[in-house]
Amino acid sequence: MHLYKMHRKITNLKKILIRRYSQAALLDQNEYTETPEYPPILDMSLKARKLREREKLHEKIKNVNTVEEKQIALNMPRYYGWKCVMLHEDKVPYNAMPMIQCYTRSHFIPIEKLPPTYTESALTAEIVVKEIKNLVEDAICIEHEGVDHSFAVTLEKPVESQKSDALANVLVKQINRIITNNLADKVPHILSAQVDYDPRHEAFWFVGGVDVPSNVIKWRKQYPWLKDRLDEPVDRPVQYLGAPFLAMRSHFPLKPILEYSEAENPEFKVPKFTYKPDTVGYFHAYRHGTNIPGYWPGDHDEFGLLSYHGRGHILNRNVSFGTEDNLEALHCQAMLASFGWLLAQANYQGFTTYNDLTYPLVTQTIITDGQLWSFYAYQLNTILMHNEKIDENPKHNICFGTKPLKLYEKVENGKVYGFNEDVLKLLVQLYLNTPEEREYDLKPYLGREEQVIADIEDDNKRCWLEKRYKHLVSNRPKHLLLPEIYLWEKIYKIEHKTRFFEPNRRPFELGINPFKRRLNEHLPPYIPKALRPYPKHKKKFETTYYPDV
Amino acid sequence: MKLSQVLNRQHIGFMFKKHWLVQGKRVPIDTGVEEVLRAKGIPVEDALEFVKEKPEPRERINIVGQYEQPLPLDQNHPDYKERPCYTLKNTNVLLEGIAQAQVITKTILAEDKLPQKIEELAEVVAPKTVHDGVKKAILSANVFDTEQKKLPKIKDPERPAYNFPRILGITDRRRNQILTNKILQLVERSSDTEATLSKYVVNDVECKTVFDKEDDLIQFQDVSNILVTSNKPLTHDTEKDIPFVEIPDLYPIKHTITMPPEHFYTETSKYPIRPTVSMRHPHTTWLHFNSTEVNNIYETPVTLPQILGRSLTHAFTVATSYAKQLYGENVKDLPEPVYINCIQTDGQNYHFGVLELNTLNLDGKEGATNVWYCKNNLKLYDSSRYFSGMPVLENYNPKVYGYINAFYNC
Repeated sequence: MHLYKMHRKITNLKKILIRRYSQAALLDQNEYTETPEYPPILDMSLKARKLREREKLHEKIKNVNTVEEKQIALNMPRYYGWKCVMLHEDKVPYNAMPMIQCYTRSHFIPIEKLPPTYTESALTAEIVVKEIKNLVEDAICIEHEGVDHSFAVTLEKPVESQKSDALANVLVKQINRIITNNLADKVPHILSAQVDYDPRHEAFWFVGGVDVPSNVIKWRKQYPWLKDRLDEPVDRPVQYLGAPFLAMRSHFPLKPILEYSEAENPEFKVPKFTYKPDTVGYFHAYRHGTNIPGYWPGDHDEFGLLSYHGRGHILNRNVSFGTEDNLEALHCQAMLASFGWLLAQANYQGFTTYNDLTYPLVTQTIITDGQLWSFYAYQLNTILMHNEKIDENPKHNICFGTKPLKLYEKVENGKVYGFNEDVLKLLVQLYLNTPEEREYDLKPYLGREEQVIADIEDDNKRCWLEKRYKHLVSNRPKHLLLPEIYLWEKIYKIEHKTRFFEPNRRPFELGINPFKRRLNEHLPPYIPKALRPYPKHKKKFETTYYPDV
Repeated sequence: MKLSQVLNRQHIGFMFKKHWLVQGKRVPIDTGVEEVLRAKGIPVEDALEFVKEKPEPRERINIVGQYEQPLPLDQNHPDYKERPCYTLKNTNVLLEGIAQAQVITKTILAEDKLPQKIEELAEVVAPKTVHDGVKKAILSANVFDTEQKKLPKIKDPERPAYNFPRILGITDRRRNQILTNKILQLVERSSDTEATLSKYVVNDVECKTVFDKEDDLIQFQDVSNILVTSNKPLTHDTEKDIPFVEIPDLYPIKHTITMPPEHFYTETSKYPIRPTVSMRHPHTTWLHFNSTEVNNIYETPVTLPQILGRSLTHAFTVATSYAKQLYGENVKDLPEPVYINCIQTDGQNYHFGVLELNTLNLDGKEGATNVWYCKNNLKLYDSSRYFSGMPVLENYNPKVYGYINAFYNC
């Protein structure tokens, strides 16, 4: 025993004493240059160092290979999820337009007819409208009076809005069926396009330049070096949740409405909104950021063509809000829905809220209750709006939108009165907008070989990442409850130190913020001894494959 | 937060509660006032004499809620009937499956045999783009859809008490919805314009039929997940000289077994599309088999004959409710047979059937009978899922699409 120990000590000593490698001093004659080459001069102030740290992180996320790993990387800093501003599609508070415009960086252009790129399809649309007009009228009659639908009513929302949405849902399906059946022989992209019913649209991004919350000011006050930076704005994580009735997507993206250079046009500037989102009426929730455009990464049809949304929530709004605000609420819903869906699609192309788009993306959004139809065309130019870039970024997104237009006046005794063909024509024109293959690389920030985790060769890594990603984006409740400061602790331990004699054990007593825990700060699954590889293996825990950011 | 942990600590609310408890049980102390007063000649009266009267009971306020409350299910309910009605809903199955369904609906079977026209149309080869579309639809329904809802609990028969982690994923209801709708969209887009113009498609509509059979009142309530209707009634040229499976004898079982008797029902049948609509004639009805929703009432797993029986009762429900709308509630032998196509699927297996409804006189075995042509257990694919992190679709069977297409275009 002693001998064995002795032997080990000697070998350890040897390691220190004996130099195994040696290198001759390199005598490089070219060490000197004519003009001196200095390393770059870096600003060593705290602010600049922190900024470089963040830029390094953004660069790291950019260099991650696969889509799913990038999404995990976005969520790495928070084990319990980000404290997100929750933007629901069907809850628009009063006067939300300035905030939504700033948060989606969208310039809104009200229009009467569709933008100039649609003029080519106007003639074809007129022919199609003539063919399908009677069919659409019949469908409206049948859905209103001919079929007994039984809608499942939930207690969570007012019945009125649910009924409106349910009717819109069935009508939208019928009209979509009629138009796609008609166009399938005329335009090739309709046959191969996929139609999703009730897909899940979610998007997550950071918005900078928001006023500082009071608790952050309080926290900053305790450090002397932050004294003159108390009011420096912070980043806010934002999460959008949407549920369209129907969405159509294809393999190629739609053509841009405007030139990409137009994105930097100062005319499209969006006013800044710095107030806290609580002041408008939006709330917070702890959750992992998710970017989901209705399908998992790896699906063949990755680019959206159009999506239909309901406007039942307008019925729930207070009457005193007025018609003008209701109209703005529709614009807000459209901008959010379009931006959210496109951002999620952009994320599947390898861009994130830290790495900006290199080309524009386009989608078309329709908001309807069956009778009133509003049409929107949206061009996504930039997704960069976190704290450092919100003021510098010259690009803006552009949203074209119409007012709600009436498709028909009323339905009575199996007849549609006042049918408006122009509205149907607008709708058909959206379908006729043909997606095109782009000449440049659509996925510049994804790996050459590995673009989604299904491409990864290592079996263990692939399975682990797949499981972790789905677990993360499901946002299922944690097994253990979230850390909490109980009220009695706040009173007797924090505000009045009446229990100073007790040992300090709780996180707030040790100066730890439990919400700053990183995603990978947990014990990996234990490998029981019987399952460890033969013969002797010291590895107690399974490997994790979190992205290195 | 566990209560016991906090109770051990300083808790002002808890302290107050305890204090109230102690203070609430106070015993009145004799202060000696009474004697002093009596000595001075002032009469003392018992306070309890003044508080003897009980307060009047207040009228209950009828609170009008946000929603209408359902009426209580008792004898005063407008739908209450003395006579029980044996009910089969789309979440229940018949004990004896197809055999029992045959007895109730008085139907003879032509197994593995569909009308000639359908067989011919099924042979037509679809272009490759369409099959690619079907493959995309299968993958989209099983793999790429982003629904994350709780799936049924996993049980290991070896150790039934063991709790596996609950998996989130695509529910069978959603999977079937996506798959069938996408396949139907493909069929419609690749069909002739004439075929699509004469048809109409509705989702999730309810059919109901009530009928008498040998002194029992029976009702079938079914949901047609997709109902394709057309502008003229469907007809088939059927063969009469094929070996039919005759109506079996269920003895000792009665044909109403596992159909719970109900007392709240209406005696009228219901076809979801009103007679004013021109495209109301049922053409093809799609039925989803969602294994989490369809159960035996005795908790045993659902067997294959039971699933096949479900197809027959479903087609019968749609056909009879339509026939009753057409010829009146009390029609017995139909002047012209009503045909309907039925496709049942659990996503993977497809059961095709064509019902020829000749009669609604369902007593006994004699006289005219209904005929059920069927072709069962066609597999669309062997497996489609995430297999070790990779999307997989194994052994796609193009024949099934041929049959679906034939059913739509016949």
